Amino acid sequence: MRDVAITGIGSTVFGKHDGRGPESLAAEAANAALKRAGVDRKEIGAVYLGNFIAGPLSGQEVLAGIIADELGLENIPCTKVEGACASGGIAFRHAVLAVGAGLCDAALVVGVEKMTHASGGQVTQALNCAMDNRSDGPSGLTFPGLFGLAWRIHAAKYGTTRDEVSAVVIKNKANGLKNPLAQLGANLSLDVIRQSQPIADPIQLYDCCPVSDGAAAVVVVARDRAANAPDLPIDILASIQTRGSPRIAGHEDIVSFEATVKAAERAYAAAGLSAKDIDFVELHDCFSMAEIIDSEDLGLVPRGMGAKWAAEGRTRVGGSIPINPSGGLLAKGHPVGATGVGQLYEAVQQLRGLHPNQVKDASIGMTHNLGGAGIACTVSILRRPDA
Amino acid sequence: MSANGASVDVLKCSNCGALDAGPREICPTCHEAALQPHAVPGDGALMSWTMIRRPPAAFRAEGAYAVAVVQLDAGVKVTGRLGTPDEACGPGTRVALAEKKNGVPVFRWA
Repeated sequence: MRDVAITGIGSTVFGKHDGRGPESLAAEAANAALKRAGVDRKEIGAVYLGNFIAGPLSGQEVLAGIIADELGLENIPCTKVEGACASGGIAFRHAVLAVGAGLCDAALVVGVEKMTHASGGQVTQALNCAMDNRSDGPSGLTFPGLFGLAWRIHAAKYGTTRDEVSAVVIKNKANGLKNPLAQLGANLSLDVIRQSQPIADPIQLYDCCPVSDGAAAVVVVARDRAANAPDLPIDILASIQTRGSPRIAGHEDIVSFEATVKAAERAYAAAGLSAKDIDFVELHDCFSMAEIIDSEDLGLVPRGMGAKWAAEGRTRVGGSIPINPSGGLLAKGHPVGATGVGQLYEAVQQLRGLHPNQVKDASIGMTHNLGGAGIACTVSILRRPDA
Repeated sequence: MSANGASVDVLKCSNCGALDAGPREICPTCHEAALQPHAVPGDGALMSWTMIRRPPAAFRAEGAYAVAVVQLDAGVKVTGRLGTPDEACGPGTRVALAEKKNGVPVFRWA
């Protein structure tokens, strides 16, 4: 496999985009990425588009081909990729494989979701497609419920408290205030969080990522074709994808997702690195407790210490391991198919030294994207080339 | 049968004897499509539970309810309901099957 890099990137604001469908959002992000790709769009040899529920919520499938048509691309393979919340990360990995294997010199990755136009009930029903509806669905489990279950175990095993978990929420919402792509940043206090509406005890309102619309895109090119790119190409050291149990009771330990653990091990091995080499991570904080579990599963924080490290400030920008300097899903919202590609966009900006919430001297970054109840996971490691 | 006679429906492979919480089509141990319905005692230990306050549309009429994951003594983990949600219940609390509701096991504090 030859070396590959990210050149062009693009993103819409993540938030409410009234009157705009998924095609409009995807076209905006993708066209911006193509314009900075450093290769002519005729050379794009494949499109991978991550999307979860445009069918149920917008009545629109075949989005990969629709976007390629919008962008004036050639008669190339255009593939829509679905892996629930990991759709974007999975789309990215397939572009890396196509270019790395030499099938084409450049590939476009887009992630998109449009959700804010639908009713709460419609959105919940569509999101529940990511659950194993043979087993977890009939019990009335929800995604907040999944992390409510995990939290109770984390508290019993490690003494994790409400206020420690709240530190994750406060950090990410504050980070989001610095990020123009995040519309859901806020200045929250421990009191406000403690008094907020219960959703799936102990999960409360601010522990949950909001629904959002958005699209993000990156262009993956062969390293030796990146010379003309207008912006610093970013090396892709690893892009790993794994699966895990489809259902909650299938996880050995509900406070750990084996798909993440395995993906991280393989990503470090592929990159020839270890956890201590990672300067920052954009990980899957669909819920506050998810960030806590993810940070431990990725080996970035000692097992059981995810909440305590957040409470101690160790996961802030300037701390031992900055987690979600972009504000994460908690502050950007979670336009499901877009999230994995949005994380890559944020990581590239960090590594280029251009992020509004910049991690000093960021050289090596990680992204982590997790689908459903831990059924699909991608972990990527990126590096600025002069590192 | 457990002490109160109540059993949980799981699957047992007629080829290799493996148990699985189900539903599934193919035995995870021997890979044959030989899984058959099988009843096991409903005694076990709570892995965790949560109170769902924002149910999906299909469950809205019920009001708030507690979902639980239980490690049955028989050696399978099942997802069901906790009929006796109480902050004193936590990981490790002993539970037993109280009833089945629409095919979903409902456990209670034992």
